[in-house]
Amino acid sequence: MCGAHAAVRHLLGGMQELNVITVIDMEAGLEHLSRGTDRHVDALLVVAEPYFKALETARRCVELGRELKIPRVAAVANKFRSNRDLEVVRKYAASHNIEILAEVPYDDEIQSADLAGSAPDLGERNAAAAAIEKVAVALGL
Amino acid sequence: MKIAIAGKGGSGKTTIAGILARLLAQRGHEVWAIDADSNPNLGLTVGIPAEARRKVKPLESGLLKEGTDEKGQRTMQLAIPPREVAQKFGMPVADRLTLLLMGTVDHAGEG
Repeated sequence: MCGAHAAVRHLLGGMQELNVITVIDMEAGLEHLSRGTDRHVDALLVVAEPYFKALETARRCVELGRELKIPRVAAVANKFRSNRDLEVVRKYAASHNIEILAEVPYDDEIQSADLAGSAPDLGERNAAAAAIEKVAVALGL
Repeated sequence: MKIAIAGKGGSGKTTIAGILARLLAQRGHEVWAIDADSNPNLGLTVGIPAEARRKVKPLESGLLKEGTDEKGQRTMQLAIPPREVAQKFGMPVADRLTLLLMGTVDHAGEG
């Protein structure tokens, strides 16, 4: 077990009493799940783009999350550009019994901010930010 | 509540994690955004300028010490309480929002 992963795992494990929400951006892929870095989390949100390989990765993440007995395991559909995109993700999720917590459209503002190396402005909730806010609501936060 | 964001590279997980952390803080919660990606970009998404991002101290295995659990087994545990960890290592980003960074090239500690 890598020491840095262990430090994060123990930090999360020691936070039960604190009234703090942690949002953890995990490593891409599945390794953090096999390392048990996610052992102490209450929710695992798997971000899925409307591409088959991304959906397959999401499904494997969900399965590992369930094996770890994480209380809430769900997907966030991201960067859809059309209803057809959305249908593909919904169908895939339904066939694997995966809950979709929010559906976030592709967003030019986010893309531009990313290219400029800055953070997107959340002053006025655009469609993507509004969709992400639904995650907070769905989690009762 | 502890929320892990996962997914394939390029799926937008860092963007979702960063925006979600900011929105939760705006909704009045105290939020710690933890970048546990070995290719860390969460600082960017929560709005820390590039210069400042280089100053975030990573969480490393030095945070852990050996102790014993309730059954008397030897185990690793945090050397200081979580709040102290956030004060020492965290970077304040916005009202109620703190960024923490996981160390990357570090193989000491639990072998």
